[in-house]
Amino acid sequence: MIRNYLKIAWRNIKKRKSIAFIHITGLAIGFTCATLIFLFISFHLSFDNFHRNSNRIYRLVTEIHREDIRYKATVPPGLPNVFKNNYSFAEKVTKIVDWDEQLITVKSGDSQESYKAKTAFTEPDFFRIFNFPLLHKNFSDELDAPNTAVITPQAAQKLFGDTPPIGKTFVWNNEETVLVTGVLRNLPENTMFTSEVFISLNTLRNSWVSKETWTGTSSSLQSFALLHPGQHPADIEQVMKSFNAIYLPDADKDEYTYKLQPFNSIHLDTQYSGGISKELLWTLGIVGILLLLIACINFINIAAAQSAYRSKEIGLRKVLGGFRKQLLLQFLTETFLITLIALIVGLGLSIVLLPYFNNIFGLSLSVSGLLTLPFTIFFIILLLGIPVLAGSYPGIILARIAPVLALKQKLTQKDTGGVMTRQVLITGQFIVSIILIAIMLLISKQIRYATQSDLGFDPSAIVMAGLPDLPDEKMKASGLTSLKSEILRSPYIEEASVCFTSPGAPINGWGTDVSFNGNPGQEKFLIESKMGDKDYLKTFGIRLVAGRNFIQKDSTDEVLVNETFGKKIGINDPEELIGKSITISEDYIHGRIVGVVEDFHDKDFRQNISPVFIAWDPDRAYNELGIKINRTHAAEAIRHIRNVWSSHFPDYIFEYHFLDERIAEMYESEQQFLALTRIFSLLAIFICSMGIYGLISLFVSQKTKEIGIRKVLGGKVFNILKLFSRDFLKMITIAGLIAGPIAWYFINKWLQHYTYRTTVSWWIFILPIGCMLLLSLVIITCKGYKAAMSNPAKSLRTE
Amino acid sequence: MIKITDLEKYYRTEEVQTVALNKLSFDVREGEFVAIMGPSGCGKSTLLNILGLLDDPDGGSFIFNGIEVSGFNERKRANLRKHNIGFVFQSFNLIDELTVYENVELPLIYTGVKAGERKERVQQVLEKMQIMHRRNHFPQQLSGGQQQRVAVARAVVNNPKLILADEPTGNLDSSNGNEVMDLLTELNQQGTTIVMVTHSEHDAKFSHRIIRMLDGQKVTENILAG
Repeated sequence: MIRNYLKIAWRNIKKRKSIAFIHITGLAIGFTCATLIFLFISFHLSFDNFHRNSNRIYRLVTEIHREDIRYKATVPPGLPNVFKNNYSFAEKVTKIVDWDEQLITVKSGDSQESYKAKTAFTEPDFFRIFNFPLLHKNFSDELDAPNTAVITPQAAQKLFGDTPPIGKTFVWNNEETVLVTGVLRNLPENTMFTSEVFISLNTLRNSWVSKETWTGTSSSLQSFALLHPGQHPADIEQVMKSFNAIYLPDADKDEYTYKLQPFNSIHLDTQYSGGISKELLWTLGIVGILLLLIACINFINIAAAQSAYRSKEIGLRKVLGGFRKQLLLQFLTETFLITLIALIVGLGLSIVLLPYFNNIFGLSLSVSGLLTLPFTIFFIILLLGIPVLAGSYPGIILARIAPVLALKQKLTQKDTGGVMTRQVLITGQFIVSIILIAIMLLISKQIRYATQSDLGFDPSAIVMAGLPDLPDEKMKASGLTSLKSEILRSPYIEEASVCFTSPGAPINGWGTDVSFNGNPGQEKFLIESKMGDKDYLKTFGIRLVAGRNFIQKDSTDEVLVNETFGKKIGINDPEELIGKSITISEDYIHGRIVGVVEDFHDKDFRQNISPVFIAWDPDRAYNELGIKINRTHAAEAIRHIRNVWSSHFPDYIFEYHFLDERIAEMYESEQQFLALTRIFSLLAIFICSMGIYGLISLFVSQKTKEIGIRKVLGGKVFNILKLFSRDFLKMITIAGLIAGPIAWYFINKWLQHYTYRTTVSWWIFILPIGCMLLLSLVIITCKGYKAAMSNPAKSLRTE
Repeated sequence: MIKITDLEKYYRTEEVQTVALNKLSFDVREGEFVAIMGPSGCGKSTLLNILGLLDDPDGGSFIFNGIEVSGFNERKRANLRKHNIGFVFQSFNLIDELTVYENVELPLIYTGVKAGERKERVQQVLEKMQIMHRRNHFPQQLSGGQQQRVAVARAVVNNPKLILADEPTGNLDSSNGNEVMDLLTELNQQGTTIVMVTHSEHDAKFSHRIIRMLDGQKVTENILAG
């Protein structure tokens, strides 16, 4: 029996190729999207799930309660040792200092090669807590001794080529010679740890992060604990509440709260700068389901509309003794076959498109993700679920029609599923498409707003050149003076400023305490530091609103603040701030305010503008050189900067980036989301158009007689096209009315993430509706025109 | 075999009720060949649909093989139909997507006959209908006469007790029409009861008895010598 069903199904597919094409393409596209989204979601859900005891691993984190709560994925350097040595909560505690890309130099005889490699500093217990095994042997005392390292095979290849790396040495940051004692297996993609080189933390024994200090935190230091079985994090957090009174007695005891963040939740916890938000994963999941759903709606609609063609066959099968159940099964077999073909096509498409998808997200999801148990289950659910979802409705309709009517082919719309049901389903498709397009338009509007609005400074044509991590003495301003003046010698360089970080998109953000005008105690807020020389304002185009720029001296007694600082302390007139004293970071700066600058966006548009100070500290080590170049001679300018820089730091690698690109990178997740919504909207429109095309084709063939009669009675082509378009116009209007508020809700919810947001313009809702109208009209005109132009004698005869 | 008494059937639209069968009564004995004649709209096809258990009467009694079947649900009707009744239609009603062989095989599939036996029976009946050489063709590749022979083959493959034929020669030329009538006569001679609706006096003469209908009622009944 099943063989017979399959045979018929296959012949039906061959006979009605265009309809089968619409079915298969729509479903295949829907499935491709769902597959890529599935891979994406399962990749993110699988983050760090391969560690043996991941449910007992916690990250030690800090909540800073001031005006608002700040979440820091770190604790003071002194805390992990106390946690480990003074209490029995944990089996193991480890620290890791991630300094991202570091200079690694490999010497061979007289020659040497320098590389940038992602580098972290950690302890042996790190590898006892996490499952990052060594190649060929078990961990014993690796990373115990200072100046030792374990590296990944990739790093080994990069640094030593094909030579066995164990026993080799490299120089880290032109400071320390480090011996390679082990090679790790390659770290998987789905881990938060991305370093290639792990140097023993003891190598940093003189660094601040190795001190037992409780004042201050560094975001590069992370601490992890493997708790004993049965330990409750809430109980431990309760105990940690007493830490401030013991170890930080001068601080407000409620200001710093230490917490245990479950390791499993880190990747999805955006409060602590996790990799991705749960909301985004949910949204993508819903979009995937919706795309599959609109493909299924096509299937249902066209199959139901086609029932008239199938009615004779169904009637006959009933006459010949077929039961409803058997007929339904026959339909499900057909749908199953189409689904199977569509899924295979979709699978092929997913494999082909995976590299492009990876490119958008900067991922390297692999085809092997398709060979996992979850994907197999997903595939089987779809393979069985889609036929049931898409085939049941037309199947039930066809199986229940009276054989007598079916044989005579005198089925009404009601018999074949009802116009209403079909219209509701198509309207559903329109709703999904309109919502997706509206969201896409809004995201691009917000990104445009964020990247093209006045930021309060001018990020264009600014090259940020990194300065090497040299001992402080060499990097002090005095040491950089000659570098800066040499760079300024080129006619292609307009301005330059030695600074700690740029005004926006800070890579070394530093918020600290502030006291104003001799007031006892600190203000409730933190002030962001923008240390730089006197040319900071000129280089970055920051505008003064009161007072003057500071004078660069051998001491730090003149400070600039921004307008928000004034507002925070209740002084709205910038002039009133001039001459007032200010103390920053306890005793670090004692000075007076000499100028107030206009507010600028020091962070992205999700966050409020912070209170900011700008000052010059001649004794400080600086990280960057901001250089305003002549845009029309960018290449020459950069060449000049590179030459001067390299002559000053011959042992280091010159790296630079453009400030406006760094700002755009702050919206990378939005850009990715935009790219996705753009693709998904287009696909939704495509699937929708195929549905409209399929239905119009069937509609035209069902209305052949009516068209003939209308033409005989003098109906014009336009009137006949109107006949086809009327229902679609009605459906799109209703869809627009329903989709509008839904899209508005989602758009507003999304915009809530931004403190500075674009307006929700009317055209965001009207444009998608117009787009669907236009699309329908084009399809209707193309398809309907042929029917309307046909010879009425012929169309009447075909009936 | 068939006994109908005061059979009634109405067709209703929102405002109008049309009487299709009006207290119609007659019997058909086993082995009989009965022709039903009458002008278009007199209720012939409605009657045939009810006799074929494709439609329900609105009143009266219909006894088939001694069982009252007028209240049967669809499943019971389908069961009774597939084991006892074969259909031959004016427009052949073959399934376009199936070959000749598969069309004839279909009733056997629905009655659950095993594959081996199905093959044997289909071959037998195709040979009998002299259409074996066309077994792998699709209906649209055959002439009208050939299509109707396939339809007859499909109607008889299950060895039904009753064949209902609705204008079996209506779409055929006279020579093909005669061939089909000869086939039906032969089947009748082998014991199959046949009820045939026809407009053709010529075809009706192949039967034993002609029932003439008008406005859903029986007007005359002629027994033919033969």
